[in-house]
Amino acid sequence: MRMVLWVLGLLCCVQAPWAWAGDEERKLEAVFIGRFASYIEWPAKPRDRFVITLLDDNPFGSLLDDLYRDKRIHNKPIELRYATRLEQVGETDALFITLTSSAARAAAIDYAQRNGILTISEAKGFAESGGIIQLDFIEQKARIKINHGAALKSGLRIGAPLLTIATVLRGDKP
Amino acid sequence: MSAPHRFVLCLAMAGAGAALAGDKAVQESNDYYRRPLEQLLQVETQAKAAVGSRGGARDALDAEVPIDIITSAQLQSTGQPDLQRALAVLVPGFNAPRPSITDGTDHAPPFTLRGLSPDQVLVLVNGKRLHQSSLLHNNGTVGRGSSGVDLATIPLRAIERVEVLRDGAAAQYGSDAIAGIINIILKGYGQRSQATVTYGRTGEGDGITRQGTLFHTLPLAGDGFINLTAEWRDRGATNRAGPDASDGGRINTHFGDADTQDGLFALNAELPRGDATLYLHGLYDRRRSSAGAFYRTAGDARNIAAIYPDGFLPRIEPKILDFSATAGVRGVLDGGARWDISYTHGHNDYHFYVNNSLNTSLGLATPTSFDSGATRYTQQILNADFSKKIGRHTVAGGYEFRQEHYRIIKGDAASYMLGSADNFAYGAQGFPGFSPENAVSASRQAHSLYGDLKYSATERLMLDAAARAEHYSDFGSALNGKLALRYRATDDLLFRSSVSTGFRAPSLSQSHFSYTGTYRNSNDAAAQFWGNFAVDHPVARALGATDLKPEKSRHLTLGMVFQPSSQLTASADVFVTDIHDRILPTGYISAYSLSSLSPQAAAVLAQNNIDGAVYFTNAIGTRTRGVDLRLDYSREMDKGARLKLVAAYQRSRTRITELNQAPEVLGVNMTDLILDPFTRVLIEGSQPADAIKLWSRYSHGSYDLVLNLNRFGKFHSVSAYDRVTFSAKWTLDAELCLRLAKDVTLALGGVNLFDVRPDQWGQTDDSLVGAGKVIQYSQYAPFGYNGASYYLRLGVNF
Repeated sequence: MRMVLWVLGLLCCVQAPWAWAGDEERKLEAVFIGRFASYIEWPAKPRDRFVITLLDDNPFGSLLDDLYRDKRIHNKPIELRYATRLEQVGETDALFITLTSSAARAAAIDYAQRNGILTISEAKGFAESGGIIQLDFIEQKARIKINHGAALKSGLRIGAPLLTIATVLRGDKP
Repeated sequence: MSAPHRFVLCLAMAGAGAALAGDKAVQESNDYYRRPLEQLLQVETQAKAAVGSRGGARDALDAEVPIDIITSAQLQSTGQPDLQRALAVLVPGFNAPRPSITDGTDHAPPFTLRGLSPDQVLVLVNGKRLHQSSLLHNNGTVGRGSSGVDLATIPLRAIERVEVLRDGAAAQYGSDAIAGIINIILKGYGQRSQATVTYGRTGEGDGITRQGTLFHTLPLAGDGFINLTAEWRDRGATNRAGPDASDGGRINTHFGDADTQDGLFALNAELPRGDATLYLHGLYDRRRSSAGAFYRTAGDARNIAAIYPDGFLPRIEPKILDFSATAGVRGVLDGGARWDISYTHGHNDYHFYVNNSLNTSLGLATPTSFDSGATRYTQQILNADFSKKIGRHTVAGGYEFRQEHYRIIKGDAASYMLGSADNFAYGAQGFPGFSPENAVSASRQAHSLYGDLKYSATERLMLDAAARAEHYSDFGSALNGKLALRYRATDDLLFRSSVSTGFRAPSLSQSHFSYTGTYRNSNDAAAQFWGNFAVDHPVARALGATDLKPEKSRHLTLGMVFQPSSQLTASADVFVTDIHDRILPTGYISAYSLSSLSPQAAAVLAQNNIDGAVYFTNAIGTRTRGVDLRLDYSREMDKGARLKLVAAYQRSRTRITELNQAPEVLGVNMTDLILDPFTRVLIEGSQPADAIKLWSRYSHGSYDLVLNLNRFGKFHSVSAYDRVTFSAKWTLDAELCLRLAKDVTLALGGVNLFDVRPDQWGQTDDSLVGAGKVIQYSQYAPFGYNGASYYLRLGVNF
């Protein structure tokens, strides 16, 4: 009986859904999504919520929900959505893409450009291939690469404070 | 308290603790959310490690096995000219002594992990196996009887980080991964070009080091890159030899660092195309080096006074060529499966030249410079890997084909021959050449199949099972497995453990190394031979030598990681490594050195005109036990200042636990055959028992101050069959790096600032080794014996 109780106790801890405390990259990525959005102007949209959608795998666990529960972006409460396929994305303001296939990413970028959506990803070559913000971690520090032309094409205006700390692509040159 | 009550209490505590921990992660994210973007770009994230995982890089702290990450900033702050010396002052348990008057070993000294052998460490570059040197350490140094990787062939500034896996991993990577794995990650995407020049010297004015490095990066489309590093490294000789009483008290010998020049080149490139990436990396090193043998005084029987009236110091001056290249393609399929196909070619050519010498037996006709021959090793690897994430789980596997080729090239005739002018002093004094009888060309192939399953039972409990089956064309098959478990008890507390088996294939150099000399008895015209015979040589066979078997190992590691905040991490791991059938050279098998040598063996020696013979054999088993402690702390201070502290401690102890049966034909036991006091101390006590590393960096807007405190534990050596203990020593290195302009830095540094030296030998009966004599320090001294040195380094980013 005692053994069973201990195992049950262990499993209770085991099932807890928190992310590993030391995963600073994940925490920073989670934070950057909202912080980037606050420096970007969208064409006026009739939604009363700011929608952030995660496309494909969710590496954050419950961190995004916990972090953005009480936040506001452009004075709107935040709604988080999780999509595994592009068809599930629907209307959204920001799209964080974790797709591994370049063709699938290209399709998502195309969709986002047509619908005025901010795209963010840590995939290599993302900004050059039309994504708007690429997040890199190099030697344990974050770096931001912005495809300004892609943002304009999507109808988004990126604020100077964000552009000044990023590597900005004009056209698709590295 | 009854069991149910205890359970409820435990559950409540666990729940409360976990809730607090979960809140903490969100609190830290909220803290980041409030910071300016510029500050977020300065946050240092946890280091990633790819080693030990086929599913991609993950947080080193979150791994199921202990991994240390050494960053390029740490490497460059040591003030050391090469990777091997840099790791020796940063990684506890990494031992890199600086032997002198040890023939080829002076020029490519060995390194070890956890007090084991140089060939029991696997070295990878970008995850691909790096070849070993062809040099067999054949003198009384740490690593005697082994061939290891020469880390000085890698330019320090081409390296982004070094991952040190402190666990056996042969079940994943194959042979050699017994003491651990060193995975060197070359600088990749997103770097800046950099040029540096360094000048340094010791406090005694010698050991002048001049170093110039150019790292240039070319960005390519799709975040591809071509990174090129070119380096010229000139390390001047140091000399800590004492006076030679037999030569009027003058200092006639060189005992210290070799005079070495390296031309190095490194390439790392990636060219992404869609879901595939073509990659290429390569290393090239051409080294010229010079060090002395023992001095031959004017009256020495090996000298010809007409050539060297005052005696002479033979100079062993090898030319070493070392290169490797890997080309491959990796990609991801539509379903998310990752694949990687690569080919690796590695080569080492260690060519011995001897100058300022003579062949006494040739009389006045002797040349004074010799080509003493070479050893060469080539390795080719074809590798195909795949991995696929299925939910939280990862399945991986692959196939590897490896071909090795080892050669001994004979020297010129004068370098090895026994002429008529002298019966004993044959060949080039200092390093007689390889003879035609020593020349060999041996190769083997190995096929490996391996699989790896990472099973996340829950988000907190992960199991990793790995297995690897290999078939070698020389010794046969090996099957090894590994089971690792990682359990996150709470958000900031992680437990990890692993059990595994491993092996080390006998190196081709151990199986085929042959180095023999000759002399002539005055009453006997037939030359007598002596030296090291390959295990398949008829004489060695007649003396009981057999084909070498692999060394087999078993590993157990238990540890925990505690991270109360993102600024502070502590870890503790205990480990046990058992190794069976360790390969050692025998003692000198002769009728006069082994009193109980069987008449049958004595007859073999006599019939073949052999004075005495040595060959390699599977001889002993050992157990190594130890503990590793780590503490990482970082703090952001006022006005943008930062403090980073890395503290580490390791203690390990190796004991001989088994003695294999000596060959019956010899009539002696293994203790008499191999385990003389020197060899026992070499295995059990020649490496520091413990080590403390305390590296700290204080960064301010205009400067960085780095302090690196090291404690090198006590070690032992042998003098006249008696064990001698050398006490532990502390050293302090410091570097002040000034940012003169946005992209210009000037660093002023000191290594071993307080000029600490290892203990000297005490009073001995030896004519050369002892206090006040020619050799005053032990070859095993873990931080050398140069004393303090200082350097200046100018760096420009562009």
